[in-house]
Amino acid sequence: MPLEPFKSSASLTMGVELELQLVNLSDLDLTAASPDMLHLLRRAEFPGNVTPEVTESMIEINTDVHTSHTGMLAQLKLIRDRLLRAGDTLNVGICGGGTHPFQHWADRKIFAKPRFREVSAIYGYLIKQFTVFGQHIHIGCSSGDEALFLLHALNRYIPHFIALSASSPYFQGVDTLFNSARLNSVFAFPLSGRAPFLLRWEEFERGYFAKMEHTGIVGSMKDFYWDIRPKPEYGTIELRVCDTPLTVERAAALSAYLQALCRYLLERNEPEPAEDDYLVYNYNRFQACRFGLDGTLVHPKSHETLSLREDILTTLRHLEPHAAALGSQDALEHLYPVIYEGSDASFLRRRYAESGSLEGMVDAALERFRAPAR
Amino acid sequence: MSESFFLSPNLAWPLALILAWVAGEFGHRRTGLPRISIYGLVGFVLANLQSGLLPSSDSIVLLANIAFGLILFELGYRINLRWLRSNPWLGVTSLTEALLTFIAVFYVAQAFGVEIIPSLLLASLAMATSPAAILRVVNEEHSSGQVTERILHLSAFNCVLAVFTFKVVVGLWVFHTTGDILHALWNSLVFLMFSALLGGLFGIAVPALLSRLNNSERDATVVFAIAVIALVALTHALDFSPVLATLAFGLIARHRRIALSQAEKNFGTLGNLLTVLLFVFMSSTLEWSMVMAGAGLALVLVIVRFAVKTLAVAAFSHVGGITWRKGVLTGVALTPLSAFVILLLEQTRHLGIGLIEELTALAAITLILEVVGPIVTHWALVLAKEVPDSDRS
Repeated sequence: MPLEPFKSSASLTMGVELELQLVNLSDLDLTAASPDMLHLLRRAEFPGNVTPEVTESMIEINTDVHTSHTGMLAQLKLIRDRLLRAGDTLNVGICGGGTHPFQHWADRKIFAKPRFREVSAIYGYLIKQFTVFGQHIHIGCSSGDEALFLLHALNRYIPHFIALSASSPYFQGVDTLFNSARLNSVFAFPLSGRAPFLLRWEEFERGYFAKMEHTGIVGSMKDFYWDIRPKPEYGTIELRVCDTPLTVERAAALSAYLQALCRYLLERNEPEPAEDDYLVYNYNRFQACRFGLDGTLVHPKSHETLSLREDILTTLRHLEPHAAALGSQDALEHLYPVIYEGSDASFLRRRYAESGSLEGMVDAALERFRAPAR
Repeated sequence: MSESFFLSPNLAWPLALILAWVAGEFGHRRTGLPRISIYGLVGFVLANLQSGLLPSSDSIVLLANIAFGLILFELGYRINLRWLRSNPWLGVTSLTEALLTFIAVFYVAQAFGVEIIPSLLLASLAMATSPAAILRVVNEEHSSGQVTERILHLSAFNCVLAVFTFKVVVGLWVFHTTGDILHALWNSLVFLMFSALLGGLFGIAVPALLSRLNNSERDATVVFAIAVIALVALTHALDFSPVLATLAFGLIARHRRIALSQAEKNFGTLGNLLTVLLFVFMSSTLEWSMVMAGAGLALVLVIVRFAVKTLAVAAFSHVGGITWRKGVLTGVALTPLSAFVILLLEQTRHLGIGLIEELTALAAITLILEVVGPIVTHWALVLAKEVPDSDRS
């Protein structure tokens, strides 16, 4: 099936998908509760959309298309409250976080749906290992060319989103020393990584996708697990590197940060993206995953070394006029303290130290999803 | 016969355990039947092949009680009382199914000409679902979902209700006058409260001790196991209910844990060993002649109890937030009864009330449900799709 044409959508509109954890409240391990949750949630109108994910201990929600941070945040809060109510009725805990700290991947159950069975057959244990939880942010683009431009212009900012959202320090019962261990699970897939450096949609469609399809490796854009990928049927680019934050407030702020950043990039005041930008890409991404805000970056153009924390701070200041134009100053206000106080990963590590157990850490994540500290 | 080499209880019990375990493993692998059903069968056969092959002794009764105590502690640990508040229909379901079971069983027993007090006793015992069978099947199958969650909670609740009414009825019987119902109610309530209080004290003290030791990860299981053993022995000595005490212990420990920690499921090896003993012991107390004598009434009662529980639980499935299908399966999965009944009766034996002997129907019910109950629960969980398929390839 050839790639469908890129559907034009209003520039800078945004939508968010969140993969959330379903937790057993007795032992705080993941629990296969998604069929029961979906049954209950589908009885009444849902504010947005809720869908199953590949294993039964995950549930995915997505928002409608929004133009403002306020609307996005309001809908995410409504969704959160609906989920919590359903969870209370069924004795199921719901929380964010990129990984569950001690779930054992072999215990997971594949959701009964043909596509999930298929990928499970292809990828084997990788799929159960893939019980990790991410936030995907869509940004609307007026054309395929605009989408590819944004996709590549964002390359140097990918570490920002990894570090700000990082919430997966523990995996399979051990401290990984990473801030986002989740992305390591994504890298295991053969079609992960970055999109090829092509800036014209026509070239992407004919020169890349059609060839790839001919090899028989891929059938649709869904088979690519890239950090950012174009989504022609929605007319968006989809940023996929964020861990699901512990709160919907953080999720909304990250989405508004990306929106403001895209507004800035579309003014084309920065040097054009180039293939050589990607020389430092994997190194920078690793720094953000491993060290979070304490990481160091190499600037793709000047090759100077930057502190990731400083770079985010500079960018936030830079984006203030754009945020003002979009009405999302609140989102930036939400992100400033994160730079000093640390990400959700630091919060989780602190709670582990306080409670002395991984279960205590999950308990803290459950509480935080329900009632954020600030 | 006591001079016979094989009849020494010191030897008979270990041999019975080996036999039951081997039969359980092979039977489970060949047929997929729950192991505990097979343990029960082995116990019953061994005890009846030659009367007295498995002599009951006080130490075996105590061990069986400890086994049951460990299971109840684990059940209590998995109960979330806040669920009652956030989903009131759970409480309504529990009260309705227990009450209707009581009424239905009472009237059927009456219709069969059983006298009032024995009918009341039968009815109160029939309210309960055996937590031992439920928890073993759930753990063995690694099931998870609403049917699993709900049978664990409903079984804990109906056991408490059953202990309470049983105690009231025994009170009435002991006083021999129905006029003393208030007195009996009061006695039963005090008995419940003290048992729960004792368990609650353990539930506060043990986690406090653990957090002081500050190495909860490794030693939690051992400490909790020892505490359960002590609590069972203590309640036995003081004539309180080990059922309630251990349940309360688990419950309070769960809600009080400062440092949360994973107590090993089933108490690991110790739990497995004692489970074999518990299920062999239970059916070894039943005699073939008694089972045959009460079989007719028992069959009717089993069917009535099954129907009432299924309907009562299913009736609240939609308002309670689950599908009708899962509601029916939850009711069906509540079938097991045995472990609870036998141990409760063993405890009243010293009061001079030989209930098993008086209630021939009970022996038959216990046997039927000990073998059939876990199988029914197993299939209910499979049909609810809460058991992972063997896709672990």
